[in-house]
Amino acid sequence: MLPRWLVQLLAVALKEVRQTVSDRRMMALLLVAPVIQLGVFGSAVNFDVDRVPTVVVDHDHTAASRAHLEHVLADGTLRRTVETESDAAALAELDAGRAAAALIVPAGFAAALARGEAATLQVVVDGTDPNRGSIAAAAVARYGRVATRELARGAARARAGEGLGASPRADVELVPRVLYNPRLRTSRYVVPGILALLLLVVTVIVTAMGLARERETGTLEQVLVTPIGSTTLLLGKLLPYVLIGLFDFVLGLAVAAWAFDVPIRGSVGVVLLGTLAYVTCSLGIGLLISTVSLTQQQAFIGGFLFMLPALLLSGVLTPLWGIPEWLRPVTLVNPVRHYVEIVRGVLLRGATFSELQVQFAALGATAAAVLTVASWRFKRGWS
Amino acid sequence: VSAPSSRLLVTLTRSLIRILALAEKETHHIRRDPQTLALALAMPVGLLLLFGYGVTFDLDRLPLVVVDQDQTSTSRSVIETFAHSGDLVVAGRAVSTEEAEASLRGGQAVGVLVIPRGFSRALARGERATLQLVVDGADASTATQTVNKADATAMAAVLVPQHTAITQIPRLVGQSWILYNPEMRSTFMLVPGLMAYILAVVCVLLTALTVAREWERGSMEQLFTTPVRRGELILGKLLPYVALGGMGVLLVLAVGAWAFEVPIRGSIPALGTAALLFLVGMLAQGLFVSVVTKNQMVATQVGTLSSMLPTQLLSGFVFPVANMPAPLQLIANLLPATHFIAALRGILLRGNGFREQGSHLLALAAFAVVMTTITALRFRRRLD
Repeated sequence: MLPRWLVQLLAVALKEVRQTVSDRRMMALLLVAPVIQLGVFGSAVNFDVDRVPTVVVDHDHTAASRAHLEHVLADGTLRRTVETESDAAALAELDAGRAAAALIVPAGFAAALARGEAATLQVVVDGTDPNRGSIAAAAVARYGRVATRELARGAARARAGEGLGASPRADVELVPRVLYNPRLRTSRYVVPGILALLLLVVTVIVTAMGLARERETGTLEQVLVTPIGSTTLLLGKLLPYVLIGLFDFVLGLAVAAWAFDVPIRGSVGVVLLGTLAYVTCSLGIGLLISTVSLTQQQAFIGGFLFMLPALLLSGVLTPLWGIPEWLRPVTLVNPVRHYVEIVRGVLLRGATFSELQVQFAALGATAAAVLTVASWRFKRGWS
Repeated sequence: VSAPSSRLLVTLTRSLIRILALAEKETHHIRRDPQTLALALAMPVGLLLLFGYGVTFDLDRLPLVVVDQDQTSTSRSVIETFAHSGDLVVAGRAVSTEEAEASLRGGQAVGVLVIPRGFSRALARGERATLQLVVDGADASTATQTVNKADATAMAAVLVPQHTAITQIPRLVGQSWILYNPEMRSTFMLVPGLMAYILAVVCVLLTALTVAREWERGSMEQLFTTPVRRGELILGKLLPYVALGGMGVLLVLAVGAWAFEVPIRGSIPALGTAALLFLVGMLAQGLFVSVVTKNQMVATQVGTLSSMLPTQLLSGFVFPVANMPAPLQLIANLLPATHFIAALRGILLRGNGFREQGSHLLALAAFAVVMTTITALRFRRRLD
């Protein structure tokens, strides 16, 4: 014989499943939609900035200016759209939004280089998209450093050739080695983040609104007069959504691996454990929201008010290092941040459980705290 | 006044009265629900402040782990320079590269700086010395910025003492100016996006919820027993939300200008036209969702799917449309939010007007007309 609480638990869970399954549209939204969204948004979300439309102005008209222009454009960050004769014409292109950068070689460029002075390569960028703008500016600055090294080497060789003896010049070179994602593709990083986002959308709002609906229609009251304990009731209600969350995650992981080439370098068990903790946590938050809202609309708004800051301060869409330091402590209590770190750590870097114990501890503690407060509020409101 | 025209006048007046009555009823609903008002008015401001202060694309204080295999005064001074660069911080030291890479895997650092044995000797001999930077490529944009910043820092660390030496050789300096947004504030980019986002959310979700609620509770049936026509019902429902959305837009513009100095450089009539067209299109979409679903839970999920996430991810709000694969660019161009954001950026930041942004405004108008027509056709008076 099964213990009574387990029978009750399963009965509640079964009722919840039946209720959800009976609404085909809801089932489709819970099970299929997240995967489609992952596919669409995963390919849309891309921070790789290249082919920035660039208008070129060459006031110098020398072999040196042409050569350096070709070299700056060679790495593909900037793409030449049109060449103009005047700065004003180039700026007009920027005003109209047809170009996002103007690359200008001032007159006297080659002469300055020949005299051994500093020659400037000017770039005017459209700052309306700061990310694109800074990448365009950085590409030109980087080219300046590379070209300076080349010129220094050339000068040293020339002096050696003139029989003045080798004139050694100390120099330092930074050799980068990129781990885990050598081609630096954004999708590998962003797709796990979107997965976390979609799990949040599915779990928080559905729990919050589902309970609010039962309250609105009065069915919650009917269940509460049955001999089922309130803890059992809560667990039974949450269980199906935990399973839906895990199902969505596995499906999403398959899409991530198959369509976006996201590697699975670590243990799937560790990610699943993380997902379990995360889903529990977000369901708890949904529950908490439902205890403070009277209608479905309020529950939805509450879920929304939680989700936006949680996503913004999680490192899902923008790197955590872009959050100012005074705001970073807030991210420590954000389950989304820890979960995303776990998923990215395990999938991309092959991190082990012990390397991620900080994130697991934080996630576990948040889940426990949220569930305790939520179930306490739930019981208090209905006893 | 002839008889037919006066009859028409009476019909129109009656119709207007019914529309206003419906609008008034809806206004009462909104006013009785302070949370809805909060979502429409306080949330945009909160979001703007959060975005404005919380999100920058210029990363700083990126944590590095240092492996010093050289152990000389030169290598220590290089580490000092890195530690005080502001862009990068030394989060820890490790004895071996393997040990350092564990902190990359755990996410505590974004890169490992390795100063190889013989670094200072090579410099002293006037040779080229190498520094190794192992970066976590999982986050591509952070990795790129880390490499760029470390490269510049490394050059500064070694070259500054030899300043006299560089002036004798030719060098090339990349100089940059930034237009429209000289301080590269992310708020300048986000305000137009946020306006679109907020309007989309308020419009689609609130209308979807309120109308779906009428269906769920059966009060829609009561409305059908009144002489209200379907066009009037739609207009009456839309009007209060147009007003609410308009207030949201003004609030975002005001807070953007006041807190983040976001300018309005272009034509204000063009701005108003764009906002109004977008508002009508999104409200009609919200009504359409509620008419089709007739259920609050389904309506919110469909609303989230069709307005919130696309506006956030496909519209060029944060991720540029030009970088998307071709089929998604097509979808992005069908979204009104894409055109609204593009028009707003031109109008607010680059001082554009009707002439430059005409095509985007036209796209917004087309969406509004198509969506309203489809909704009116679906909004049958009979209960099916």
